[in-house]
Parts: sequence; structure tokens; C-alpha cells
Amino acid sequence: MSTVTVVRDPKLAGTRQAFVLSEDRLGHYREFREFFTRTFDLDRVGLSQPGYVTAPSGHVYTLVFLGRSGEPFPSGVELYAVVEALEPFDEPTVDRDVWAILRWMVEGVGGAFKVEDLDATARLYRIPALGGG
Amino acid sequence: MTDPVVELPPDIRGEWPFPPRYARVNGWRMHYIDEGSGDPVVLLHGNPTWGFLYRAVIGPLVASGRRVVVPDMVGFGLSEKPTREQAHTLDGHTANLTALMRQLDLRRITLVCHDWGGPTGLSFAMSNPERLRALVITSTWAWPLPPAEFHMRMFPWRIMHAPLLGPYLLGRHAALAGRGVYLSVVDRERFRRTAQSAYEAVLPDPASRLLTWVWPRWIPLESGDRAVERFAWLERELGRSKLPVSIIWGREDEVFDAVTFAQRFKQLLPQAEGPHLVTGKHFLQEDSGPEIARLVIQFLDRLDLRGV
Repeated sequence: MSTVTVVRDPKLAGTRQAFVLSEDRLGHYREFREFFTRTFDLDRVGLSQPGYVTAPSGHVYTLVFLGRSGEPFPSGVELYAVVEALEPFDEPTVDRDVWAILRWMVEGVGGAFKVEDLDATARLYRIPALGGG
Repeated sequence: MTDPVVELPPDIRGEWPFPPRYARVNGWRMHYIDEGSGDPVVLLHGNPTWGFLYRAVIGPLVASGRRVVVPDMVGFGLSEKPTREQAHTLDGHTANLTALMRQLDLRRITLVCHDWGGPTGLSFAMSNPERLRALVITSTWAWPLPPAEFHMRMFPWRIMHAPLLGPYLLGRHAALAGRGVYLSVVDRERFRRTAQSAYEAVLPDPASRLLTWVWPRWIPLESGDRAVERFAWLERELGRSKLPVSIIWGREDEVFDAVTFAQRFKQLLPQAEGPHLVTGKHFLQEDSGPEIARLVIQFLDRLDLRGV
């Protein structure tokens, strides 16, 4: 069962958006774009607001969707950790959260994309967060 | 433009004593080395390596009386590393190489290509045949479909560069630049001891590793994928080419297996000699650099004798 949950209107006062990861080509495999469109109702919401999820640490993460002329929306996405405004964040914690979000994403994409293959890839390349998600 | 932007580790500097040179190509800073004199031999690397891949090939070639030019692809090695995916296109990388070859006004080029140095280098060769003397082809491909079986697999290949997974696995955690090359050499212990830090040092940060996950996205897997037409053109042009060719392949190549890929090049270029099989997986230059140098020199000596 996923430990990542979509949330609406999280409390953002006193926080900053710490850049974590970006993707310029979300449609490289169209299933990924379809997953985000479905999950965050992007056909209706468009660029009007970002998406938010909570991760295992309890941190909220912001997904900012990007549009490019001539390409299906969203063309890209940026991931931000919502952290205390003036405090550095704990990198291993954020890395484990990102790993959990990626596993949640692959579960949601489904089809030929399986979490087992993601885990096996992470094992092969010794990704530190493996097992923490 | 003479200062290297990336500082090489001290233990690597002894292995790479060549003075850096820089050229401006299509608005990017491209690093290359230019050693020796004679007919030029241009050594082209692929993903995620840089000219260092050829360190054991350069000296013997220079000693044999050849000029050796080794560029680092924009996005790799000591060249500039654009930070947006859209900065990297297959045709753009070919045009970068073409710009350097024209700036140096190289002629009678023998082009040695590996991995993405294949599609880019061979596209340059086919669009500038008057500058070419011969081709040496190692562990690459030059046709649209089918791709290598390895590139169709979900684990690990398609997972590695999927949306967001690529930036995380190959960017944040350097999966290809670090462990990826290590897994694709035969003598892993020697590689870890003598070479791995050279590949990791030039891609120190997640953003600097962008091309490691962008290149895989340019491999056509289906008929509608981008670059299919370019690969179809390349295959067609190679089939018409009469250039002398030598094919050198790793016996243990697990990405472009010799039985399938070296043989297909042999069918495409029936005038080719080889395939010469050497010890090596995908990064065969790591295991058989001196042997590859010997094979290239012998090939060129034969061309000299024939007056080619």
C-alpha cells in the first residue's frame, strides 16, 4: 500500500519550495503523462494550480506541471519539497521521500511499468533509498 | 579558451596528460585533444564516457605517425554541459562534430566510433564523405529497427531513463556514469582502481549528468519514434558507401552483441574487414585498448600500402 497521498491545499505559511527534481520530457513514455493528468485532473485544472502529495516523512511535496507550445500538456514536471522557510532540509530524508513518490508514480502508471522492475533496477545500481520507500 | 572547467583527480591526470583544447561549436564549448601529425584519426566516445575511454589507444596511434583528435561530446567529459534536455538532439550532436572537423579542416579522416559516437560520427561521415578516408566501428548501431534486445528490456534499461526516474537514478545517483560503466567491463577490479573516478569526476553533479538519460531517449524502439528517419537515412547511406571499414567488437558485449550487431555491420558494409573480436563488454576500450590500437594501426598500414 502506497505511503504517498494526494493532498489539497496544504498549509504553506512559513515554508519554502525546495527544488528537488525536474523532468523536461514527461511524455517520453505517454503513460507517465496520462498518470499525472488523471491523478491531478490536469485536463480541467491546467496550469492554474500545482499538485501536492505527502510522503512517508510527513513532508509535503509540490508538483509543478509545465507546458510547452506544440506539445501535449503537461510536457514536464518539477518536484519541490515543502520545507521550513529558513532551514536546510535533511537530504537522506528527502531522498527517501522522492524514492517513495517515484514508486507511487510507477504503481500508478501501471501496465508494463512495474515496481518490481524499479526495485530491481535500484538494487542493481545500489540506490541508497531502496527499502526506505 | 584554454582552462579546463573540470578538475581531474590527481591519479587520473597522469593517465590523461594531453593539453586541453577548446572550440566553439553551435554556441557550445567543445573540448578536444589534438596530438601528433599525419593523416588524422578521430576517436569518438559515447554515453556516458569521454575521450579518456581511448587513453590506451592514443599513444600508439601517435607513435605510428598519425594525428589523433579526440573530442568530448557536448554534455560529456570536459566539454560544456547544457542543462536542458531540449539542448540535445541527435542531429545537433552530429552538427557539433561537423563544426569541429571543419574548424580543424581535417581531411583523410579515419573515424573510430563507439556507442553514440556511431550514429553521430557515421552521420558526419556520410554527409561529409570528401573528408573521410576510412571507418572503424565498435559496439554501436546505425539503423532504425529493431533496437538491441537490451534496449527493449524494462529492467533495467527502460526503467532507467523513464520520466522522473532518469533524473533520479542517472542524475541524482549517477547510475550510468558510476556503476553502469563498471558493470559493462570485463575486468571490473582494474576498472574500479584505474578508471572509474575519471568518468565520475567529469559528471560531478546531477545536472551535469543530463545527457546520460537523454541519449537513451533517442534510441528508436518503435516505428513512430523520433530519429527513425535519421537512422533510416544513415543505414541507406552506409549501404552505398565504399569507404574502407574495419569492425572491432567485444567478445562479451552484452549491449550490442557481436553475433547480431557486428554481423549486421558486415552485411551493411561487405567491404569491411573483421569483425575482429577482442576481450570486452560494451566498453571494450577499457579491457582491450592496446589491442584495439594495434588493430587500427594494422588496418591503416594496409591502407597505406594499397595507396588508399
